Amino acid sequence: MSWELFAVFIGSSIRLAAPLLLAGIGEMVSERAGVLNMSIEGMMLMSAFASAVGAWATGDPLLGLLIGILSVVPVALLQAFLSNTLRANQIVSGIGINILVLGATTLAHREIFGARSRAEIPGLAKIKLPLLGDIPIIGPAVFEQVWLLYAGIVLIVITALVLRYTSLGLAIHAAGAEPKAVDKSGLSVTFVRYGVVLLAGLMAALAGAFLSIGDIHTFTEGMTRGAGYLAIASVIFGKWRIGGTTLACLLFGAATALQFQLPALGIGVPNALLIMLPYLMALLAVGGLVGRQMAPATLGEPYRR
Amino acid sequence: MRSASLANVVDVAAAPLLSLSEVTKRFGGFTALSEVSLDLRPGEVHCILGENGAGKSTLCNVIFGVYQPDGGAMTYRGAPYQPSGPADALAQGIAMVHQHFSLVGDMTVVDNVLLGRGRGVLNRKECARQLARLGEDYGLPLDPFAKIDDLSVGERQRVEIVKCLIRDPQLFVLDEPTAVLLPDEIASLLAVCRRVAASGRAVVLVTHKLAEIKEVADRVTVLRGGRTVVTSDAPTRDIDMLVRAMIHGDVAELDGAAASTLGLGNVEPVGRQPPRSKVEALQIDGLTVRDRQGVTRLDNFTLTVDRGEIVGVAGVEGNGQSELAAVLAGMVTPTSGRYYLGETDLTGRSPKEITAAGVGIVSEDRHAVGCVLGMSLAENIYLNRLDEFTRFGFLNRTALQREATTLMQRFDVRARGPGAPFSSLSGGNQQKAVLAREITLPNLSCLVASQPTRGLDVGAVAAVYGHIRDACSRGIAVLLVSSELDELLSVADRIVVLYRGRIMGTCAADVSRKAEIGAMMAGQAQ
Repeated sequence: MSWELFAVFIGSSIRLAAPLLLAGIGEMVSERAGVLNMSIEGMMLMSAFASAVGAWATGDPLLGLLIGILSVVPVALLQAFLSNTLRANQIVSGIGINILVLGATTLAHREIFGARSRAEIPGLAKIKLPLLGDIPIIGPAVFEQVWLLYAGIVLIVITALVLRYTSLGLAIHAAGAEPKAVDKSGLSVTFVRYGVVLLAGLMAALAGAFLSIGDIHTFTEGMTRGAGYLAIASVIFGKWRIGGTTLACLLFGAATALQFQLPALGIGVPNALLIMLPYLMALLAVGGLVGRQMAPATLGEPYRR
Repeated sequence: MRSASLANVVDVAAAPLLSLSEVTKRFGGFTALSEVSLDLRPGEVHCILGENGAGKSTLCNVIFGVYQPDGGAMTYRGAPYQPSGPADALAQGIAMVHQHFSLVGDMTVVDNVLLGRGRGVLNRKECARQLARLGEDYGLPLDPFAKIDDLSVGERQRVEIVKCLIRDPQLFVLDEPTAVLLPDEIASLLAVCRRVAASGRAVVLVTHKLAEIKEVADRVTVLRGGRTVVTSDAPTRDIDMLVRAMIHGDVAELDGAAASTLGLGNVEPVGRQPPRSKVEALQIDGLTVRDRQGVTRLDNFTLTVDRGEIVGVAGVEGNGQSELAAVLAGMVTPTSGRYYLGETDLTGRSPKEITAAGVGIVSEDRHAVGCVLGMSLAENIYLNRLDEFTRFGFLNRTALQREATTLMQRFDVRARGPGAPFSSLSGGNQQKAVLAREITLPNLSCLVASQPTRGLDVGAVAAVYGHIRDACSRGIAVLLVSSELDELLSVADRIVVLYRGRIMGTCAADVSRKAEIGAMMAGQAQ
């Protein structure tokens, strides 16, 4: 592999990992507090669609992003309401939401765009990082990404600091490990858990917008193609740690990037097999390579006093 | 008895810190508290005494704002007090240590203490300094940066206490704090209560152990069936009256074991016949259990129990008792070692085969393993022998109910009838039913009972031990696992002490050796 191709591989791994990373970190925080959002997939799809429509209608991708975020708020609130207030099964309710969103966005997409699908949509700007972006070969391939990716990295660092050094971080951790302790200390478990689901929604919204108006500047039906589930898998693979989740996302991103790289290198692997690769890795990661004892103690269990 | 330096300085005429006036609390049709009136004064340790189900915990939860009373009024520092929830109670200076700990196991002591206090960035160093100061003031030494998972039960309770004290409460409520502690840990907890009271705060201590009341209480209020029966200003003098008030009976009629549970040192254990024969019934030879992580939970456990003998297994919970009982019941296959009933090797056999061989099992978690809550009493009481009531594959319910009624009478299981759902029975009656099922096994020769009196009130404890003794006098070998040392001392012939999966020592069940056994439970070899 030439240096050029390698740089492109790294760059596209990061680009493909970005939506997983954004959604995965949000989901990790939510799971640390005890709420499993299978609906991450649906939230991403919702935002991918709404931000694409928003950017297309207003002509401003930034407004599109904002509309994408706003569109996820009711979905996240619905998930939070089902899993905390009604204490519904979190896996069933999440998958229900995913099916609902897939149907709704497909219908709306056909109504709005009709036969004119694959309309060119204004996208978010790419930014070349100072200094790093000027490195020959590597610079343009790796350090010239959509600004949302950099914003995402800043958000992840902030999340890590909040979890480690603030009382909010303690409350989030305790809400997943021993919610009774949170309750008895005078905080509200419900409040914390609503908050983390909304955060997971916000991060999923950024991830969805990244897919449509950040990466390919268009919307296709069901375009998340399981990215939300991959984000959940990366949380498990990363053992509910920021660093681990980030690495897992990069790994899945790299596996996806191989789809485009191997044919370019002339290596004759069936394409279907390559498309399968990240999902296969996720299956292995979730299924057996990782012990379950790292999971937050009350993950997926609604709190009852 | 209390030391002179800590002598109480309660001004009897002092205005109460908190007073309850005819407080009533109902849960559906059940009245948990009925017109309870109570005064709590600054500087006193006020014990709340009562059997299980007397309403002690409900009372604490009403004071702490977990439940809102349905009737009556509370006055705190001279103003009406209606806490909207625990947060409100805490803000007003009322703190509570609950019966069950609620600590986050994978967080440090400091982080657990900081949870829910303050906003923004944590100041762990400052908190550690505060902990050190509290530790000195009240005798509560703790490593602030230790993980909760690495602490002993006594240390964890210290964390719970410190979590309350750091908020500088005026009223400090402890709900049955000594249930899980070793003897010396209990003594130091009671000393902490004295110090807190000496600093001018009011301490409420819920207990059903009379020894603790003699040790620490300034005043005692007895609850029974949700009502206040009596309040005593001189508990040591009135101790007999308090006992009678609590159980509505005469002390002399109490079973020795039940009396020991209460901490009545002056009641002699009921005299027991020495073991009738030296025939080994249960032989356990070097049982070892390693869990999936490779940690040794039970280490080379060897013991024989003779026919007609009761051997008690003492120890703080989590020291291998559950694993031992699970192996004997056939629920877990041991890593190595064997066990025999007479000549028959039962190692690794299924629970069904073990039951058929004549081993009765009363499991420690009655709800998870011992019974099926959704089924009827009759079905549960014959759960292991339902085959006897089937013809051509169909269950003969008439015969089942008839036989179950007989057993219910014999074992005094109180329920609406044999068809009542098992979940509708009280804990004591459920346990009596499980015991009835296991003790009436046709060819019973050995009974393994784990924590058979957990959560039961005094009357049920006495009944359970009555049946166990009765079985023993019929020549059945009994292995009794319990964390209640007092009960073991009065029921068993011999006691083996488990510590971290090993037998620390064996001795005759003699009250005079209690301190020695307590030390072994804490891991000190004799």
